[in-house]
Amino acid sequence: MTTTTAPARGFVPDLRRLLHAREAGVFAALVLLFLLGVVLSPGFASSDNLLSVGQQISQIGIMAVGATFVIVNGEIDLSVGSVYALSAICTGMAISDGLAWPLAALIGLAVGSLAGLLNGLAVVLLGVPSFIVTLGTLSVYRGVALLISDGAPISLNNGMPGVAEFSLLGQGRLFGVVPMQFVIFAVVAAIGVVLLSRSRLGFNSYAVGGNQEAARLVGINVKRVKLSAFVLSGFTAALAGVLGLSFLSYVQGVTGSGLELTVISAVIIGGAALFGGSGTVWGTVIGVTFIGLLQNILNIKGISSFWQTVVTGLVIVAAVAADTWQRRRKTRA
Amino acid sequence: MTTVAAAGPHTGPAVRIAGLGRNFGPVRALHDVSFDVPAGEVTALLGENGAGKSTLLKILAGLQPPSAGTVTVFGEEVTSHDPATVLARHGVAIVPQELSLLQDRTVAENVLSGVEPGGRWFPSRRAMLRRTRELLAELDLDLDPAASVGSLDLATQQLIVVARSVARGCRVLILDEPTAMLTPAEAERLFVLMDRLKSQGVTMLYVSHRMPEVFRLADHIQVLRDGTHVAGWGREETSPDRAVAAMVGRDLAEVTARAGHQGAPEGPPALVVRDLSGRRHRGISFAVRPGEILGVAGLPDSGRVELLHNIFGGDRGTGGEVEVLGSPYERRDPIASVGRRLAFVPGERRAQGLLTTMSVGRNVGALTTRVFSRFGLVRRRAFDRNAADQAKKLRVKTASLDQPITNLSGGNQQKAVLARWLSINPGVLILDEPTRGVDVGAKAEIYEELFALADRGLAILCSSSDLPELLAVTDRIAVLSEGRLVATVETATATEESIMTLATGATPASAPADADGEHRSAGPTAPEGTAP
Repeated sequence: MTTTTAPARGFVPDLRRLLHAREAGVFAALVLLFLLGVVLSPGFASSDNLLSVGQQISQIGIMAVGATFVIVNGEIDLSVGSVYALSAICTGMAISDGLAWPLAALIGLAVGSLAGLLNGLAVVLLGVPSFIVTLGTLSVYRGVALLISDGAPISLNNGMPGVAEFSLLGQGRLFGVVPMQFVIFAVVAAIGVVLLSRSRLGFNSYAVGGNQEAARLVGINVKRVKLSAFVLSGFTAALAGVLGLSFLSYVQGVTGSGLELTVISAVIIGGAALFGGSGTVWGTVIGVTFIGLLQNILNIKGISSFWQTVVTGLVIVAAVAADTWQRRRKTRA
Repeated sequence: MTTVAAAGPHTGPAVRIAGLGRNFGPVRALHDVSFDVPAGEVTALLGENGAGKSTLLKILAGLQPPSAGTVTVFGEEVTSHDPATVLARHGVAIVPQELSLLQDRTVAENVLSGVEPGGRWFPSRRAMLRRTRELLAELDLDLDPAASVGSLDLATQQLIVVARSVARGCRVLILDEPTAMLTPAEAERLFVLMDRLKSQGVTMLYVSHRMPEVFRLADHIQVLRDGTHVAGWGREETSPDRAVAAMVGRDLAEVTARAGHQGAPEGPPALVVRDLSGRRHRGISFAVRPGEILGVAGLPDSGRVELLHNIFGGDRGTGGEVEVLGSPYERRDPIASVGRRLAFVPGERRAQGLLTTMSVGRNVGALTTRVFSRFGLVRRRAFDRNAADQAKKLRVKTASLDQPITNLSGGNQQKAVLARWLSINPGVLILDEPTRGVDVGAKAEIYEELFALADRGLAILCSSSDLPELLAVTDRIAVLSEGRLVATVETATATEESIMTLATGATPASAPADADGEHRSAGPTAPEGTAP
């Protein structure tokens, strides 16, 4: 046996592998975009601007971390925008009713996780494709959010007990510099990286998404793995919703409509395949950052938001086309 | 049947199969199959397509429950039919025909998938690499545990699937046609591994169509035919000829012989294939004249199906020429084939032949929407009338043309697909498995229709895994083995045994030299030096 001892994979080899992996292309594109931003506008690279980009991508980023688990499993969660609103409304109503804010936030997170669990149960037990299940719950959860809030917006004002502290989550800055939301995103992303690349759940997710039949053959509990992914996705959507409420002190039933598309776009741009079995949280973070920087540059240059929508769409298709092309070349070789 | 006393603590067979049956609706895939798989030895399972081998293996691996009978592993009856339990409790693992690895993950991650060493929540990568390295050393496989599986060739991936089973402590390993996709040299690596496993006391049950291989590896041979167990021997008690005879020995009277066929066909060939290569076939040359039916025989992995798809244009080939009705046909694709009056009835009827959500009429008329349209709109009445005519001509039995095609029997579905092609007035007709899943009555009608078409001057190329069918229907038979044309024989002088012998490479000396090319003639039996 002549195999040389491979180095144990610590953090640094992971980074190195990142550069060789499918994310490398997106990462290169991100660097190019950054340089483009620097060239196009002097204010772009200022720490103020970059910190505000960090703030803007945080909620999408948090949701995308959860969505990555679902997509690696070969499933999809279209309901995250609705879960975002539902959780924010539950938390907002609880605070308005005078509940302590940590408890109110926990209620929001629990509601979101439960929503994810229900998605997962429908997929796993009824055997309905997740696209259909979550297309349905996209509407159901949105409807429930509108129902319990009676269609009326919920505003938090500083007169209510605990609101000042709660607002720090979304509006505060760590050491007065780094937006709190971004800190939370970084923590969630770090946990996501470890969970997906190191934990049994992560290993099993790749197995299930890569080849469900084979996963079953080797004795992996496919249903439990998928359920976990949906719960994670619900949880991260809820966390983003709670942060959104904290940031704006305001939420209504229609808040967060269409977020699911941005979230899925970020994951796909980050290199995950919709068929499952591939993708990393690292890639997703790059994808989210890419979308954030792109919009920021377009904003700075005063390009209309209508064009921003067009450009974002083109980027998604281009990213997947590049990936497909790369794969085809690889299989031909 | 011989049962050899087993080695190891448990005396008796590793697996005892008793009265096993499996029905799919009215279809009997397995009936009252009983035999023993002796412990610590290699048993080969033989049988033609549809003999029930795959069903039997799936039941053993827990992928399907039996309809009747029992499976006992090392003295303990298998009661819970799911793969995880069968593996964990009884130590039975299967290496499926389709490779089931995660291409983007490493060797170690694949081998230990689901059983990673380490803590409850977090597996340890270091321990995974170590465990995999030990395991690979034990199996004498020189592989880097950290290599990505996608970068490895097919044969190596197969070895990893075996290693994955061993990592789960399997004591009985089932291999479903493990060499079907491998070249002889690649297969050799698998055989070395199998020998190694045998020396470690692992019991193996494997399926193969290749006689030389079976007689080299297997200690025991069991034969299934039409879902029943027809023979079992120790290796020394039988011969390749006898094994082949047991596999094919079926009542030949059930198929109609080609009657009313007048003499040798004349005129220039309607279909010429010259040195054609593509996926899993290379250097194939033959010609079919108008009025002639040329059969194509070969094992499932012989490249037979790929050859047909290459000619028709469903798959891109890599070289060679095709001539249809006197003119060269380059840049082949299905749409162009329709224009050149080249018809193709594919073998996977459900996946490739039927428009499964549509009616019988729409299926039959599928190729005529252009002919029967005006200003871009289909003239429904003319379209329907033509579909009705064609369906009637081929005796498609259906309550109405508006019936969903899936309501029809297999035979009538097949007639509908054939009827579809006849409305383009084809000059060359290619068929793959023309009567797969078709009952005897419809079979005879399809044969009669083929004869009538040939008599009208069509050149027909008919590929089938059903040898009695080829012998009954064709004028000549081209035999493929491992992607090469090994012989073209006159049907009148051929027998099932002679064709099977050519197709399995059982006696390579008899393969005529003229059909064989110069490349890669390693010879299917040449054991490349490594026999331990």
